Amino acid sequence: MRPHDSTTIDRLRAQIAALEKRPALAEDAVFSGKADDLLPVPAGMLHEVFTDEHRNSGAALGFALGAARPLLKPERPAILVMQLSADGREMGVPYGPGLKSFGIDPGAVILTRAETVTEFLWAIEEAVATTAVAAVIADIASHQHDIDFTVSRRLVLRAAATGTSVFLTRYGTGREASAAKYRWKVLPTPSGSPPFDARAPGPPRFAVTLEKGRIAGFSADWSLLMDWTADGFALVEHSREDSQPAHRAAPLSGADSAALGDRLPLAG
Amino acid sequence: MLILPRWATDCLSRADPALAARKHPFVLWEKQKGAMRLAEVDLHAASLGLFAQQNLSDARALVPELEAREIDRAYLEQVFADFADWHSNASPIVSVLMHRSAYGDLCLDITGVAHLFGGEAAMLEKLTGRLRALGYTVNGAIAGSIGAAWALARYAPGSIVEGEPDEALAPLPVAGLRLDADQVSGLEQMGLKTIGALYGRDRRALGARFGKLLVMRLDEALGQLEERLVPRLPEIERHAERRFAEPIGLIDDVLMTANDLAVRLAQQLEGEALGAQAFHLFLYRVDHKVMSLSVNAARATRDAGHIGRLFANRVERLVGEYDPGFGIDMIRLAASSLSPLASTQVGAFDAHDGNGDLDRLYDRVASRLGPLSVLRSRFVNSHIPERAVKLEPVIARMPDDPHAHAPVSAPRPIRLLPAPEPIEVSAEVPDGPPAGMTWRRVTYRFDKASGPERIAVEWWTPAEGELTRDYYVAEDRDGRRYWIFRSGLYGEAAHPRWYLHGFFA
Repeated sequence: MRPHDSTTIDRLRAQIAALEKRPALAEDAVFSGKADDLLPVPAGMLHEVFTDEHRNSGAALGFALGAARPLLKPERPAILVMQLSADGREMGVPYGPGLKSFGIDPGAVILTRAETVTEFLWAIEEAVATTAVAAVIADIASHQHDIDFTVSRRLVLRAAATGTSVFLTRYGTGREASAAKYRWKVLPTPSGSPPFDARAPGPPRFAVTLEKGRIAGFSADWSLLMDWTADGFALVEHSREDSQPAHRAAPLSGADSAALGDRLPLAG
Repeated sequence: MLILPRWATDCLSRADPALAARKHPFVLWEKQKGAMRLAEVDLHAASLGLFAQQNLSDARALVPELEAREIDRAYLEQVFADFADWHSNASPIVSVLMHRSAYGDLCLDITGVAHLFGGEAAMLEKLTGRLRALGYTVNGAIAGSIGAAWALARYAPGSIVEGEPDEALAPLPVAGLRLDADQVSGLEQMGLKTIGALYGRDRRALGARFGKLLVMRLDEALGQLEERLVPRLPEIERHAERRFAEPIGLIDDVLMTANDLAVRLAQQLEGEALGAQAFHLFLYRVDHKVMSLSVNAARATRDAGHIGRLFANRVERLVGEYDPGFGIDMIRLAASSLSPLASTQVGAFDAHDGNGDLDRLYDRVASRLGPLSVLRSRFVNSHIPERAVKLEPVIARMPDDPHAHAPVSAPRPIRLLPAPEPIEVSAEVPDGPPAGMTWRRVTYRFDKASGPERIAVEWWTPAEGELTRDYYVAEDRDGRRYWIFRSGLYGEAAHPRWYLHGFFA
């Protein structure tokens, strides 16, 4: 490839990106094997964070907050968490001291509650249209069908225009048409144990699959295990946790019950 | 001071054309202790000798063609409130005095307003004249103190007293001092029939004989004791208004006018280097009602576009309730909660800080979803988890409690349920985590757990039935982590109950 060819290609790419209203950078996200490179992805994108069940809501919010944290900048000092009031009563509301122990400044997280889905969508769009918001995390536990393709397309355009990222946390196994650039599937996973206490839960661990969207070097059907640490997401090395995914794949296999049986001697 | 002695009957005859065209006297009656007694009588009925508190059947015997209706006090009070608000087109401070009158008397503070009407006499003439033209019986007076104006409006209508009211009040009867009937008859028995007769008397003796109220009212009337008006509408510090030759009705027109007014108000505020946090839009309807809309801003502002947008958001929520009636003939945009706001220079090298944009976003969202919908966490001095943080509106920001606890190093969940939910636990070991739980009819088995973290009752806050809590972090087979607690220690409570309080990431 001659040198001026690559500049032409870059220029054409930028033109296409401008037509599609998204930062050209998105194609350049390269996964090098470290979780830090997978996240954060460029700002100004619409992400869907899917999890299978409502009771995984803690993991979904944790993943979205973790992905949004690097987006906080002095000129974008806030993360807006939006909920429908009814969902908040059912699934809990973000809790200040919990955010602090998760590693996020509770002062930067603003909670917005709406009564109806119309007002909810209006508030999301209004927040996305502001250049001072780092990320909008919208918890969509009910009214799944009101978030259709048109809605997501509007959000994509607004987010691209202002550079505000949007994370829609959604629940269930069905997937509808959506204009979201990235779709993640996040499941909670049994955590590793902290040193010296095998029976205590360790740092939060997520099983993350990228279902939609392209990150160079990252295959869509990989399921990664990530720990949330003080420095952000960290990949769990497969060598150490090799047996873990196998257990999940065959929950009724003999290996699993053997592992259960092993607990007693461990507990001593 | 405007006094409307026949307001109830006048108002009903205006509302009902059949009554307006009547030839017969009209009264309103109400049930009192089983008897039907007259409550309000109109001018015609009064001239025939009917009076309030008279038995309805007596009145009918005296005047057979009497037109009588039962009084609806709630309705009349509401109409009077609108009626009073409407008078704020004459003066911004309107209050209703409830002394010795069924619906109240209108009291307008006209300080610095009279010149707009061409002097005090012209103003009084205009205010009473326009009410008379509408069919109301009205008396008015202007004086330097509320008490004096009240007495003059009752007993010397139309008078305007400047300076000390002593002379003007002297010949008026003592009933002009807003006293109750017992006090008035007592004074009259003693030969003290006019206010002037009280002037030289020993105040202590008067107070001992007739009650402190008499001395207080006398001082108020003479302007020696300050009496405060309680304005019906929020106090207005700066305003811009527009009157229309033809009444307008469409909400879009109203919003357009509000935008224009916001520009004018903003210029006014800019000239004085002020910003405001509360804005009120008053819509004066031709049928004497006032609709008001208020919006609040998180920080003092004078950005006309922003103010206009806040009203547009608020109106969107009100679409069903908006009712312009026969039209709106005046719109006033007012600002209150003023604070100095110096103009800022945009620097070439300043780091752009998003806080201003954020506050405007919060204003917009709060103006549409309500102020309680945009919340931040405020840390409070308490270690009970649900009390440690208070969700408070962003636009009414308060500083954090300086005594708020340092962040605990113990884990706290990322989501907290609004109220702890009772769970059934299985295989509990005293002072250890349970092996599983049933929450919302689903059973979970815990593989890992840590704890307990013991949180004792705050004995200094009175709360019934609170027990020490032992909190555990429990992780189930799929890796979901829960914050559960046992309410009560073994031994402290007979059967300690377990609750789920939150979720970890």
